[in-house]
Amino acid sequence: MIRTTAQAKRKARQLYRCCLVNGRLNPSRAQHAASIVLELKRRGYMRLLKEFQRLVRLEIAAYTAMVESATPLPRHLENRVRERVQNTYGAGTTTLFKRNPELIGGMRIRIGSDVYDGTVEAKLVALQRNFGGSGGYRQNP
Amino acid sequence: MNTLGFFIDATAGGQVQQIAKTFGVDWPHLLAQVISFSIVCFLLHRYAYKPVLAILDQRRRQIAQGIADSEKIKAELVKTEAERHVILMEAGTEANKIIEEAHAAAAQVRKNETQKALTAAEQIIVQAQEAAAQEHTRMLGKLKSELGLLVVRATAQVTGKVLTPDDQQRMAEETIQQLAKAA
Repeated sequence: MIRTTAQAKRKARQLYRCCLVNGRLNPSRAQHAASIVLELKRRGYMRLLKEFQRLVRLEIAAYTAMVESATPLPRHLENRVRERVQNTYGAGTTTLFKRNPELIGGMRIRIGSDVYDGTVEAKLVALQRNFGGSGGYRQNP
Repeated sequence: MNTLGFFIDATAGGQVQQIAKTFGVDWPHLLAQVISFSIVCFLLHRYAYKPVLAILDQRRRQIAQGIADSEKIKAELVKTEAERHVILMEAGTEANKIIEEAHAAAAQVRKNETQKALTAAEQIIVQAQEAAAQEHTRMLGKLKSELGLLVVRATAQVTGKVLTPDDQQRMAEETIQQLAKAA
Protein backbone atom coordinates (compact mmCIF):
# COMPACT_ATOMS: atom_id res chain seq x y z
CA MET A 1 0.00 0.00 0.00
CA ILE A 2 1.58 3.23 -1.14
CA ARG A 3 -0.02 6.36 0.21
CA THR A 4 2.61 9.06 -0.17
CA THR A 5 5.22 10.07 -2.72
CA ALA A 6 7.99 9.35 -0.23
CA GLN A 7 6.72 5.79 0.12
CA ALA A 8 6.58 5.48 -3.67
CA LYS A 9 10.19 6.67 -3.97
CA ARG A 10 11.36 4.29 -1.29
CA LYS A 11 9.58 1.32 -2.89
CA ALA A 12 10.83 2.31 -6.35
CA ARG A 13 14.42 2.34 -5.08
CA GLN A 14 13.90 -1.11 -3.55
CA LEU A 15 12.48 -2.38 -6.82
CA TYR A 16 15.34 -0.78 -8.75
CA ARG A 17 17.95 -2.43 -6.51
CA CYS A 18 16.26 -5.77 -7.17
CA CYS A 19 16.80 -5.23 -10.88
CA LEU A 20 20.56 -4.70 -10.59
CA VAL A 21 22.96 -7.39 -11.73
CA ASN A 22 26.65 -6.75 -11.02
CA GLY A 23 25.85 -3.16 -10.28
CA ARG A 24 24.12 -2.61 -13.65
CA LEU A 25 20.46 -2.56 -14.46
CA ASN A 26 19.23 -5.74 -16.04
CA PRO A 27 16.66 -4.84 -18.69
CA SER A 28 14.76 -8.08 -18.53
CA ARG A 29 14.48 -7.86 -14.74
CA ALA A 30 13.29 -4.31 -14.98
CA GLN A 31 10.68 -5.25 -17.55
CA HIS A 32 9.56 -8.19 -15.47
CA ALA A 33 9.28 -6.07 -12.33
CA ALA A 34 7.24 -3.44 -14.14
CA SER A 35 4.89 -6.07 -15.53
CA ILE A 36 4.35 -7.55 -12.06
CA VAL A 37 3.49 -4.14 -10.66
CA LEU A 38 1.07 -3.58 -13.49
CA GLU A 39 -0.59 -6.92 -12.94
CA LEU A 40 -1.06 -6.46 -9.21
CA LYS A 41 -2.29 -2.85 -9.55
CA ARG A 42 -2.03 -2.16 -5.88
CA ARG A 43 -2.86 1.20 -4.48
CA GLY A 44 -0.33 3.83 -5.61
CA TYR A 45 1.20 1.60 -8.30
CA MET A 46 1.30 4.47 -10.81
CA ARG A 47 3.44 6.58 -8.50
CA LEU A 48 5.70 3.62 -7.99
CA LEU A 49 6.05 3.03 -11.73
CA LYS A 50 6.74 6.69 -12.45
CA GLU A 51 9.51 6.78 -9.89
CA PHE A 52 10.88 3.46 -11.16
CA GLN A 53 10.81 4.84 -14.70
CA ARG A 54 12.74 7.90 -13.57
CA LEU A 55 15.43 5.74 -11.98
CA VAL A 56 15.66 3.56 -15.09
CA ARG A 57 15.94 6.66 -17.27
CA LEU A 58 18.77 7.97 -15.12
CA GLU A 59 20.52 4.63 -15.37
CA ILE A 60 20.14 4.60 -19.13
CA ALA A 61 21.38 8.19 -19.38
CA ALA A 62 24.35 7.36 -17.18
CA TYR A 63 25.39 4.58 -19.55
CA THR A 64 24.40 6.15 -22.82
CA ALA A 65 26.70 8.50 -24.69
CA MET A 66 24.81 10.94 -26.91
CA VAL A 67 27.17 12.19 -29.60
CA GLU A 68 25.95 15.21 -31.56
CA SER A 69 27.79 16.61 -34.56
CA ALA A 70 27.07 19.28 -37.14
CA THR A 71 27.84 16.96 -40.01
CA PRO A 72 27.66 13.16 -40.16
CA LEU A 73 30.82 11.62 -38.76
CA PRO A 74 32.91 9.27 -40.89
CA ARG A 75 32.66 5.64 -39.92
CA HIS A 76 36.19 5.42 -38.58
CA LEU A 77 35.61 8.47 -36.40
CA GLU A 78 32.40 6.98 -35.01
CA ASN A 79 34.31 3.83 -34.11
CA ARG A 80 36.98 5.86 -32.38
CA VAL A 81 34.38 7.75 -30.37
CA ARG A 82 32.60 4.54 -29.40
CA GLU A 83 35.89 2.94 -28.38
CA ARG A 84 36.97 5.96 -26.35
CA VAL A 85 33.61 6.16 -24.57
CA GLN A 86 33.74 2.50 -23.63
CA ASN A 87 37.29 2.85 -22.41
CA THR A 88 36.29 5.74 -20.21
CA TYR A 89 32.79 4.77 -18.97
CA GLY A 90 32.80 1.02 -19.27
CA ALA A 91 32.09 -1.60 -21.89
CA GLY A 92 28.34 -1.52 -21.35
CA THR A 93 28.00 2.07 -22.36
CA THR A 94 25.81 2.62 -25.38
CA THR A 95 26.81 5.26 -27.90
CA LEU A 96 24.21 7.06 -29.99
CA PHE A 97 25.03 9.44 -32.84
CA LYS A 98 22.87 12.35 -33.84
CA ARG A 99 23.26 15.10 -36.45
CA ASN A 100 22.54 18.62 -35.25
CA PRO A 101 23.25 21.40 -37.81
CA GLU A 102 22.76 24.07 -35.14
CA LEU A 103 26.13 23.10 -33.71
CA ILE A 104 27.68 24.63 -36.91
CA GLY A 105 30.83 22.61 -36.48
CA GLY A 106 32.51 20.14 -34.14
CA MET A 107 31.10 17.51 -31.85
CA ARG A 108 29.42 17.29 -28.44
CA ILE A 109 29.41 14.17 -26.27
CA ARG A 110 26.97 13.94 -23.35
CA ILE A 111 27.18 10.99 -20.94
CA GLY A 112 24.98 11.33 -17.87
CA SER A 113 25.91 14.67 -16.38
CA ASP A 114 29.30 14.83 -18.18
CA VAL A 115 29.51 16.96 -21.31
CA TYR A 116 32.46 17.25 -23.71
CA ASP A 117 31.70 20.13 -25.99
CA GLY A 118 33.99 21.09 -28.86
CA THR A 119 31.33 22.62 -31.08
CA VAL A 120 31.45 26.01 -32.74
CA GLU A 121 28.12 26.80 -31.09
CA ALA A 122 29.64 26.36 -27.63
CA LYS A 123 32.54 28.62 -28.57
CA LEU A 124 30.16 31.24 -29.92
CA VAL A 125 28.06 31.08 -26.75
CA ALA A 126 31.23 31.54 -24.67
CA LEU A 127 32.23 34.44 -26.89
CA GLN A 128 28.83 36.07 -26.48
CA ARG A 129 29.03 35.64 -22.70
CA ASN A 130 32.39 37.40 -22.80
CA PHE A 131 30.61 40.28 -24.47
CA GLY A 132 28.13 40.33 -21.59
CA GLY A 133 25.27 38.57 -23.34
CA SER A 134 23.17 35.70 -22.06
CA GLY A 135 24.46 33.24 -24.63
CA GLY A 136 21.28 32.75 -26.59
CA TYR A 137 22.50 34.32 -29.81
CA ARG A 138 19.80 32.64 -31.88
CA GLN A 139 17.01 34.37 -30.02
CA ASN A 140 15.65 37.56 -31.49
CA PRO A 141 16.44 40.66 -29.37
CA MET B 1 -25.90 166.28 75.44
CA ASN B 2 -25.36 167.71 78.83
CA THR B 3 -23.98 164.53 80.22
CA LEU B 4 -21.43 164.41 77.40
CA GLY B 5 -20.52 168.01 78.02
CA PHE B 6 -19.99 167.32 81.66
CA PHE B 7 -17.83 164.36 80.89
CA ILE B 8 -15.76 166.38 78.55
CA ASP B 9 -15.48 169.03 81.10
CA ALA B 10 -14.35 166.59 83.66
CA THR B 11 -11.68 164.84 81.50
CA ALA B 12 -10.36 167.18 78.88
CA GLY B 13 -11.72 170.39 79.76
CA GLY B 14 -13.75 172.78 77.89
CA GLN B 15 -11.86 172.63 74.71
CA VAL B 16 -12.95 169.06 73.99
CA GLN B 17 -16.48 169.95 74.84
CA GLN B 18 -16.22 172.85 72.47
CA ILE B 19 -15.02 170.65 69.64
CA ALA B 20 -17.72 168.03 70.28
CA LYS B 21 -20.31 170.77 70.25
CA THR B 22 -18.90 172.14 67.01
CA PHE B 23 -19.11 168.73 65.31
CA GLY B 24 -22.54 168.02 66.77
CA VAL B 25 -21.54 165.06 68.96
CA ASP B 26 -24.35 163.74 71.10
CA TRP B 27 -22.80 161.52 73.72
CA PRO B 28 -25.77 159.29 74.54
CA HIS B 29 -26.36 158.68 70.88
CA LEU B 30 -22.69 158.08 70.38
CA LEU B 31 -22.63 155.67 73.25
CA ALA B 32 -25.68 153.90 71.95
CA GLN B 33 -24.17 153.73 68.52
CA VAL B 34 -20.92 152.46 70.00
CA ILE B 35 -22.81 149.76 71.85
CA SER B 36 -24.93 148.89 68.87
CA PHE B 37 -21.86 148.97 66.67
CA SER B 38 -20.09 146.71 69.13
CA ILE B 39 -23.03 144.36 69.11
CA VAL B 40 -23.07 144.46 65.34
CA CYS B 41 -19.35 143.93 65.31
CA PHE B 42 -19.71 141.04 67.72
CA LEU B 43 -22.52 139.50 65.70
CA LEU B 44 -20.71 140.03 62.47
CA HIS B 45 -17.57 138.63 63.97
CA ARG B 46 -19.48 135.78 65.50
CA TYR B 47 -21.73 134.77 62.61
CA ALA B 48 -20.29 136.34 59.53
CA TYR B 49 -16.61 137.08 59.71
CA LYS B 50 -15.63 133.98 61.64
CA PRO B 51 -17.28 131.50 59.22
CA VAL B 52 -16.06 133.54 56.31
CA LEU B 53 -12.58 133.59 57.77
CA ALA B 54 -12.81 129.90 58.49
CA ILE B 55 -13.91 129.34 54.94
CA LEU B 56 -11.13 131.58 53.72
CA ASP B 57 -8.66 129.78 55.94
CA GLN B 58 -9.93 126.49 54.65
CA ARG B 59 -9.70 127.74 51.11
CA ARG B 60 -6.21 128.99 51.77
CA ARG B 61 -5.24 125.65 53.20
CA GLN B 62 -6.83 123.93 50.26
CA ILE B 63 -5.00 126.24 47.92
CA ALA B 64 -1.78 125.61 49.82
CA GLN B 65 -2.52 121.93 49.74
CA GLY B 66 -3.27 122.23 46.05
CA ILE B 67 -0.07 124.11 45.47
CA ALA B 68 1.81 121.56 47.52
CA ASP B 69 0.09 118.78 45.64
CA SER B 70 0.88 120.52 42.41
CA GLU B 71 4.51 120.80 43.43
CA LYS B 72 4.45 117.20 44.46
CA ILE B 73 2.82 116.27 41.20
CA LYS B 74 5.38 118.30 39.33
CA ALA B 75 8.13 116.53 41.21
CA GLU B 76 6.45 113.22 40.56
CA LEU B 77 6.04 114.20 36.96
CA VAL B 78 9.70 115.09 36.69
CA LYS B 79 10.59 111.87 38.41
CA THR B 80 8.22 109.94 36.21
CA GLU B 81 9.60 111.68 33.17
CA ALA B 82 13.09 110.75 34.24
CA GLU B 83 12.01 107.18 34.89
CA ARG B 84 10.21 107.13 31.56
CA HIS B 85 13.32 108.43 29.92
CA VAL B 86 15.39 105.77 31.64
CA ILE B 87 12.85 103.10 30.74
CA LEU B 88 12.78 104.32 27.16
CA MET B 89 16.55 104.27 27.08
CA GLU B 90 16.61 100.78 28.53
CA ALA B 91 13.84 99.72 26.15
CA GLY B 92 15.77 101.18 23.27
CA THR B 93 18.91 99.41 24.38
CA GLU B 94 16.99 96.19 24.88
CA ALA B 95 15.30 96.61 21.50
CA ASN B 96 18.65 97.22 19.86
CA LYS B 97 20.04 94.17 21.59
CA ILE B 98 17.05 92.08 20.49
CA ILE B 99 17.38 93.38 16.95
CA GLU B 100 21.08 92.57 16.94
CA GLU B 101 20.34 89.11 18.30
CA ALA B 102 17.62 88.68 15.69
CA HIS B 103 20.05 89.79 13.00
CA ALA B 104 22.65 87.38 14.33
CA ALA B 105 20.10 84.56 14.53
CA ALA B 106 18.85 85.34 11.04
CA ALA B 107 22.41 85.38 9.75
CA GLN B 108 23.07 82.05 11.45
CA VAL B 109 19.86 80.57 10.07
CA ARG B 110 20.71 81.90 6.62
CA LYS B 111 24.19 80.45 6.92
CA ASN B 112 22.82 77.09 8.06
CA GLU B 113 20.19 77.03 5.33
CA THR B 114 22.78 77.98 2.75
CA GLN B 115 25.03 75.22 4.01
CA LYS B 116 22.16 72.75 3.88
CA ALA B 117 21.26 73.85 0.39
CA LEU B 118 24.88 73.52 -0.69
CA THR B 119 25.10 70.08 0.87
CA ALA B 120 21.85 69.02 -0.78
CA ALA B 121 23.03 70.40 -4.10
CA GLU B 122 26.32 68.54 -3.75
CA GLN B 123 24.47 65.34 -2.91
CA ILE B 124 22.20 65.83 -5.89
CA ILE B 125 25.22 66.42 -8.10
CA VAL B 126 26.98 63.34 -6.71
CA GLN B 127 23.84 61.25 -7.16
CA ALA B 128 23.40 62.58 -10.66
CA GLN B 129 27.03 61.80 -11.45
CA GLU B 130 26.64 58.31 -10.00
CA ALA B 131 23.43 57.79 -11.94
CA ALA B 132 25.11 59.07 -15.09
CA ALA B 133 28.08 56.79 -14.47
CA GLN B 134 25.80 53.82 -13.87
CA GLU B 135 23.79 54.66 -16.95
CA HIS B 136 27.02 55.03 -18.91
CA THR B 137 28.23 51.66 -17.65
CA ARG B 138 24.88 50.09 -18.39
CA MET B 139 24.83 51.54 -21.87
CA LEU B 140 28.38 50.38 -22.47
CA GLY B 141 27.45 46.90 -21.27
CA LYS B 142 24.38 46.88 -23.45
CA LEU B 143 26.37 48.13 -26.41
CA LYS B 144 29.00 45.50 -25.78
CA SER B 145 26.34 42.83 -25.50
CA GLU B 146 24.62 43.99 -28.70
CA LEU B 147 27.94 44.20 -30.49
CA GLY B 148 28.86 40.74 -29.23
CA LEU B 149 25.51 39.40 -30.40
CA LEU B 150 26.07 40.87 -33.84
CA VAL B 151 29.58 39.50 -33.99
CA VAL B 152 28.47 36.05 -32.86
CA ARG B 153 25.56 35.99 -35.31
CA ALA B 154 27.78 37.08 -38.14
CA THR B 155 30.38 34.52 -37.14
CA ALA B 156 27.72 31.80 -36.89
CA GLN B 157 26.45 32.59 -40.37
CA VAL B 158 29.90 32.74 -41.89
CA THR B 159 31.51 29.85 -40.02
CA GLY B 160 29.01 27.23 -41.18
CA LYS B 161 29.79 28.09 -44.77
CA VAL B 162 33.59 28.16 -44.52
CA LEU B 163 34.10 24.98 -42.46
CA THR B 164 35.44 22.17 -44.62
CA PRO B 165 35.04 18.43 -43.87
CA ASP B 166 38.63 18.45 -42.70
CA ASP B 167 37.82 21.22 -40.24
CA GLN B 168 34.82 19.26 -38.97
CA GLN B 169 36.99 16.17 -38.52
CA ARG B 170 39.69 18.14 -36.75
CA MET B 171 37.17 19.61 -34.33
CA ALA B 172 35.71 16.17 -33.64
CA GLU B 173 39.22 14.93 -32.93
CA GLU B 174 39.63 17.73 -30.40
CA THR B 175 36.46 16.58 -28.57
CA ILE B 176 37.76 13.03 -28.55
CA GLN B 177 40.97 14.37 -27.03
CA GLN B 178 38.90 16.03 -24.30
CA LEU B 179 37.24 12.68 -23.60
CA ALA B 180 40.63 10.98 -23.52
CA LYS B 181 41.95 13.51 -21.00
CA ALA B 182 38.96 12.85 -18.76
CA ALA B 183 39.69 9.12 -18.66
